[in-house]
Amino acid sequence: MLETINLSKNFKGKKAVDEVDIYLDEGESVGLLGPNGAGKSTTISIISSLLKPSSGDVKLDGKSIIKNPAEIRKILGVVPQEIALYEELTAYENLKFFGEIYKVKKNILEERIRDVLEIVGLKERQKDLVKTFSGGMKRRVNIAAALLHHPKILILDEPTVGIDPQSRNHILETVRKLNEEQETTILYTSHYMEEVEQLCNRVYIMDHGKVIASGSKSELLSILSSEDTIQVQLSETSDQLIEKIKSFDHVRQVDETDEGIRIISKKGSNILSGLVLAAEKEGIQVTHYQMETPSLEDVFLHLTGKTLRD
Amino acid sequence: MFPVFKAQLRKDIRKPLTVILFIVASIVASLIFGGSTEQEETTVAIFSSGSDAKEIEEKWEGLLNDIESVNFVITDEEKAREDVVEGRRDVAIHVMENDYRLVTSSHMPQVQMIEQQVHEVFTKEAQLTAAAGNQSTEQFRDEMEDYMNNPPFQVQTLSLQNENLLKHDMGLQLLFGFTLFAAMFIIGFKVNGITADKVSGIWDRMILSSVSKTSMYSGHLIYSFCIGFFQMFIVLLVFQYLIGYDLGNFSMILSIAAVYTLSMVSLAMLLTGILRTPEQFNMVFSSVIPMIPIVSGIYMPPGTISNSILLFIADLFPLTHGVEAMIEVALYDASWNDIALPIALMLLIGVVCMGVGVNMVERRKG
Repeated sequence: MLETINLSKNFKGKKAVDEVDIYLDEGESVGLLGPNGAGKSTTISIISSLLKPSSGDVKLDGKSIIKNPAEIRKILGVVPQEIALYEELTAYENLKFFGEIYKVKKNILEERIRDVLEIVGLKERQKDLVKTFSGGMKRRVNIAAALLHHPKILILDEPTVGIDPQSRNHILETVRKLNEEQETTILYTSHYMEEVEQLCNRVYIMDHGKVIASGSKSELLSILSSEDTIQVQLSETSDQLIEKIKSFDHVRQVDETDEGIRIISKKGSNILSGLVLAAEKEGIQVTHYQMETPSLEDVFLHLTGKTLRD
Repeated sequence: MFPVFKAQLRKDIRKPLTVILFIVASIVASLIFGGSTEQEETTVAIFSSGSDAKEIEEKWEGLLNDIESVNFVITDEEKAREDVVEGRRDVAIHVMENDYRLVTSSHMPQVQMIEQQVHEVFTKEAQLTAAAGNQSTEQFRDEMEDYMNNPPFQVQTLSLQNENLLKHDMGLQLLFGFTLFAAMFIIGFKVNGITADKVSGIWDRMILSSVSKTSMYSGHLIYSFCIGFFQMFIVLLVFQYLIGYDLGNFSMILSIAAVYTLSMVSLAMLLTGILRTPEQFNMVFSSVIPMIPIVSGIYMPPGTISNSILLFIADLFPLTHGVEAMIEVALYDASWNDIALPIALMLLIGVVCMGVGVNMVERRKG
């Protein structure tokens, strides 16, 4: 349905997006994952026709939209990262404004406003000024504004940044329903791994403007199928101990965590006895030892050597 | 275009205080400063020295006070000099038997005007004394005044429009000045809505919608025009019909206000193109705009500002041309031909600033 081909964008000689190839099939929910500055927002700005790429193309059903963006704009809903609403107006007035600029017919606009307010759960607060809303409620109106014209593709740029867990769950549930019940194609960008894990059929992981991995959740996790992730709680940590563990055969990575260390080692390698001995020698007690099922967070760590919030 | 226009209107209906405040402010400022200019009479201290000082002072006080709008008052020499030194008065006059000295620390045109008037009185008195010869000066003065009351012929001074020359009305100038000045703020702050929409992301949302770029700009700019013109219309209406000022041909005054508004919207658009955030715009606009009436000489009598650089800067802003055209219409009943130049200059500023401004906004990324 929608694909990017070798998409690149340079800003003052710096590559913000570097030969990115992604695609979205009709009705699927795709995640674009990466830390701040990875190039996610620039990529979706190009896909939504707000920015022109330095090179590469974006195709909708095989036709380039770079020269003719009107085609994609008709079927696209974009939820920007910022709260793009008039705070001095009510939720209803904002939605009426966005409905009018999308030329939603007058006789169905009222019905559409009611529907989208229902979807985001703000029907009761429609007559209140947006500036009186909490951050989470503003984000929900922000989403509602992008749904008025019944978009086939919905792009959400970090829609849960800086909001409370309750509003976050509400937004995630809304996106899930849009995808499952209304078959809206979703492109969801976030640096929250768990959101993407929860919502998306497929994931693209971006870093430094490049797509460094892609696939379904299970495909990405299989990257770590040859490795075990072990979470170890210690009475205290020391640099000597970490260095010693790093020197073990089969240990690929050791990272310090809040309560101890996380070890990534070759699958099936038994490092427990060696770990306990090494800790004892340093006068450190191993209080907890757990083999973890790898998550996308671990995949990201494995691929980039850093966590998503670094 | 209409949804954008309506959204801006809804915002102002919800918070109308700014618009009301500017309307009231320009009416009050015009009444206070315009009114005070009409009634104000300049007081100038005169003094003399020597044994016959009192006699000399009284003689010249009587003669000098024939001058309208200037009140010459006998004052103690020390106090008169002190007032000038400390800036309480611009000028004092040391009168002598047949001569005078100006005590001043200012080069203001008003001082030059007083000097000229005093000079005329002294010259006339010297001519009278010379003409009287051995005859009494007072007797000769009476004879001359009788003669002047029934002159052999009269000279009447007319303007180009074949009407009597009118005295410049500073009150009217201030009324137009304050009205146009206050409108500059409203217009600027409304045009700044474009930058605010860009920063908030609403602009991008509009780009993705079915609305064209032309409609987006038109919605904002036509609204800014309407609100600025509405403000001026209300103020001018109040002065013409409620306070009783004679503004001349009212429809022409409104037409000039419309051209001025157009030009000012464009100037604000240029600033929108230069400045990146609404906060930057508000800061720069609020700092620069109050200087324009000063540079343009709106608060001062015509001709006060003679520096060519300041005059050039003033010409770059529509305020100078707007007030000039309105004064021409209100005081001298000027026709469209007479005000063609200021109107053309305002339109030129409008076209250039709008072209450059929109271009700069479009070239700016993000």
